[in-house]
Amino acid sequence: MRLPESQVAVLEAASATDAQTIDQLAEATSLKPETVTGAAFDLRDDGLVAVEETVETSATLTDEGEEYLADGLPEVRLYRAALDAGADEDPVEMGQLIGASGLGGPKVQIALSNFARKGYGVIDGGKVDADPDADPDADEEAAALAAVADGDAGSVDDAVLDQLESRGLVARDERTVRSVTLTEDGVTALMEGVEAAQTVDRLTPEMLTTGEWQDVEFTEYNVEADAPTAQGGKTHILRQTADRVKDTLVGMGFKEMEGPHADADFWINDCLFMPQDHPARTHWDRFALDVPPIHEVPEDLVDRVEDAHRNGVGEDGDGYHSPWSEDFARQVALRGHTTSLSMRYLSGYAQGELEPPQRYFSVEKVYRNDTLDPTHLLEFFQIEGWVMAEDLSVRDLMGTFEEFYRQFGITDIQFKPHYNPYTEPSFELFGRHPETGEMIEIGNSGMFRPEVLEPLGVECDVMAWGLALERLLMLMYGFEDIRDVHGTLCDLELLRETEVLH
Amino acid sequence: MPVVDVDPDELRRLTGKEEKSDDQLKQDLFGLGLEYEGDTEDGLMQLEFGPDRLDRLSVEGVARSLRYHYGDDRGVAVPKTNDPDWTIEVDESVPEERPYVTGAVIRGANLSEKGLDSIIQLQEKLHATMGRKRVKGAIGIHDLTMLKGEMLNEEGGNSITYKGIDPDGDTFVALDSDRELTPGQVLEEHPTGRKYADVVADYDKLPAIYDELGLFSFPPVINGRRTEVSTDSRDLFVELTGTDQWTIDHMCNIICYALDARGATIEQVEVDYPDGTTVKPDFDVRTKTVTHERIETMLGIDLDERETIDLFERSGLDARLDDEAEETAYEVSIPPYRVDVLHPVDLVDDVGRAYGFNDLVPRYPDVGTVGGRHERSTLEDAARRSLVGLGFEDLLNFHMISGEENYERMNVEAGSDVVGGGDPIDITEPYSEDYTQLRSWALPSLMMVLENNTHRAYPQDLAEIGLAAERDDSENTNVAEHRTVAGVLARYDATYEDAKGRLQALCRDFDVELETPATEHPSFISGRVASVVVDGDEVGVVGELHPKVLVEHDLELPVAAFEFRLDALAGE
Repeated sequence: MRLPESQVAVLEAASATDAQTIDQLAEATSLKPETVTGAAFDLRDDGLVAVEETVETSATLTDEGEEYLADGLPEVRLYRAALDAGADEDPVEMGQLIGASGLGGPKVQIALSNFARKGYGVIDGGKVDADPDADPDADEEAAALAAVADGDAGSVDDAVLDQLESRGLVARDERTVRSVTLTEDGVTALMEGVEAAQTVDRLTPEMLTTGEWQDVEFTEYNVEADAPTAQGGKTHILRQTADRVKDTLVGMGFKEMEGPHADADFWINDCLFMPQDHPARTHWDRFALDVPPIHEVPEDLVDRVEDAHRNGVGEDGDGYHSPWSEDFARQVALRGHTTSLSMRYLSGYAQGELEPPQRYFSVEKVYRNDTLDPTHLLEFFQIEGWVMAEDLSVRDLMGTFEEFYRQFGITDIQFKPHYNPYTEPSFELFGRHPETGEMIEIGNSGMFRPEVLEPLGVECDVMAWGLALERLLMLMYGFEDIRDVHGTLCDLELLRETEVLH
Repeated sequence: MPVVDVDPDELRRLTGKEEKSDDQLKQDLFGLGLEYEGDTEDGLMQLEFGPDRLDRLSVEGVARSLRYHYGDDRGVAVPKTNDPDWTIEVDESVPEERPYVTGAVIRGANLSEKGLDSIIQLQEKLHATMGRKRVKGAIGIHDLTMLKGEMLNEEGGNSITYKGIDPDGDTFVALDSDRELTPGQVLEEHPTGRKYADVVADYDKLPAIYDELGLFSFPPVINGRRTEVSTDSRDLFVELTGTDQWTIDHMCNIICYALDARGATIEQVEVDYPDGTTVKPDFDVRTKTVTHERIETMLGIDLDERETIDLFERSGLDARLDDEAEETAYEVSIPPYRVDVLHPVDLVDDVGRAYGFNDLVPRYPDVGTVGGRHERSTLEDAARRSLVGLGFEDLLNFHMISGEENYERMNVEAGSDVVGGGDPIDITEPYSEDYTQLRSWALPSLMMVLENNTHRAYPQDLAEIGLAAERDDSENTNVAEHRTVAGVLARYDATYEDAKGRLQALCRDFDVELETPATEHPSFISGRVASVVVDGDEVGVVGELHPKVLVEHDLELPVAAFEFRLDALAGE
């Protein structure tokens, strides 16, 4: 019979008549106790040994117990002081005795309560009356402390041990002791001969082809120990969030838009009915680019947009009292929102005329020269979406956004009436933070104004909304400073440790 | 977005709702679209709102809106005005850049400390918003009793004159000053003058307003000390100058309505332009027509006519059924302080606000469309998945960068014929020196990440797919944008082979043919750099980075890298 080395050693050390504990076997085999235990159980499973388990109680002195062993129990010290003071004749003032006994602090209370319990005397009216017949040398708790200290707790009466444990002088501990005896099969196996099997570190291709694997034992690893963490790649957390948003929107019937990051102000602002002297169009807020004006914008569209700015649309429409020049409209800047893409699509310029109904979206970068803080960067991703259909109402807008945000666990949406130059009615969307319960701004939305749609040639309603992807990420996953993950100051360690979205 | 500081006690007094707690007021204000942002040091509530309702830039305007909201006021109210006694003469010399003026006389203002603070705040907020930082319109408020009007003619009446003067054409004592200065000196020496010097920097003549005693106001920069307003001032003269008559007239209306709310009487003034005379303020009530059907379809609710008219009135508008229209329609009157009503949809919005948008029941629109991704973005995602599968950490860097990082630190010259060497797209007025242009390639961004992470565990295999752009006048926008794929392998034993091996794997994934003919690139070690040629097109570069570039980025180990255009993986 071939058995692993450790099992062979245990089998040979075990006896059919004398049960041996694991510790004894460990000493006999020079193996670690845990190795012997493992081997013993494996042998028992093969029917070669029997393992008997008993529970053994051991007791040890606590620090306080050690102290009383050395100095005497407080009540005994009080009794001896009382005898010295003659309290066995006449009661003595307690204060005097305590001073004489050298007891202090909490020990005074300990001494007093145990003094009476053990019949060393009576305490009455602040005076101590000692019993002359008591024998402090026969105090069984003091004797028990000494016995425990000698490792002879077994000789102590259980009731006394219980008392010492309740006084916090002794700690009791239970442990399972396993003892091993050979079974008949074990004896037989030994008589027939047991060989140690070869142990190997590594399974080799050769072992597999020769069949040698059948005769070897594999050395055991410490399977609980840490291994070096494997380093792999991971999709950026913001990209993961963007992917999730895209999945959601595609699922809701939206098609993705695509278009230039550097674009004419015409597409970025003028089509959106943003007056040319609007504060957001000043040099402070936009990233104008040092390139010549855009070559081509649809001329008839430019005329219609200018007319909307100057005169409004419809019989009752008014325009802005602001300057408007085509030169400004043709200047090229980094887009401040991806609504420039919506304008390109709605006008038919991107893909040809669109017939309602349509749903479109993009999750792309925009550039704003205004804020820089833990939640805002100069560049960020904007989620942009719109629905084009006949007779859309504010209720349709609300229903669409409720559905979208529900996909991200954000419910209880509130719509705060708001103003945008390009939508009316307009709403800021507020949602309840899933963790903190706060109401937080989660987007901006509205129905495009006739001054936007009519020049574009759109004859039905279009509702639209925008939201910073970073805001959604931070809301959902608790990032506090977006700069840690986006940009060249990012921390690789943080990116590596970031949990994946699922 | 504008923020207005409002004293809650004043708000309670002006709305007549002494019993409302601060919290109740905040809730009511939120319903109107004014969001409580916090308190000032003086305990005023800071309210933020959209820049459409500029008539709410003071406690008087906010109170007016609340009174309509509560139903305590209804319909359009126009303050009574007295006939003009004063005239503003517009002289031929007036600066051509700022030809327009308007104004009003206010009698019996009796402003308390809080009232005066509120009017001054309103003035400043109007400057910042409608007035476009005083460029388009600026307001001056004067103590009328300190003005001595010039006799106009035999019938009497007082006048002041708006004219243009040279920078050193006269002197006056400006507010917060104690000596005579010329307008030119004010622009150079007075703190307020320096602040607004830009507004008049290109003017040939400087705007000036005179009474019989001389120069008393230098719009849009600063008033004179002589006519300074205090809580003792009972009668006021309000003048506005600007580049657009409509704008200053409406700024004037908003000021007049606020003072009217404090019990003052508005007296008109005549404005005598060289080519004609008008009377201001102009409290003309405009009308617009909106159909019942449009209201119902936009809000998605059924309303009857009486209910609709009620909602208009609770918005501070008047509405009457338009008898001549073919379908049910309302002729809606718009008060002269409203500057935001450009189209009937703005009236529908008012009806919605009065109805309570949050009382509308959301519904998912019954509109069927088919969703889908753009092929550029699905290609990008597929390439990203392959890169991650090859062990790259996917990074996300800014598209803006500095010229130094993009070129110099990479040892590349701007305008050279190598990958990354394209002509820069500069930002006209950069926010910071770290972001002065669009990047022409992504490798510099990855090198910066390596530079900032030398304390982190190696190997550092990083990749990014993102935007790169260079100047190209044949493009419509003069900017050639493309998506670029860049990867770096920073490891103690990184070699050309490591980079090329991964490139081969990528090309295999996308079934395109890769060739790597030797080339030269100043960022890479000569003899260990190749062009990336995919399906016969030169699309990028692969190699071992030059020690000069590594040392420049404080790196103490070799880096192998590649960069190429994403569209090369699309095949065809």
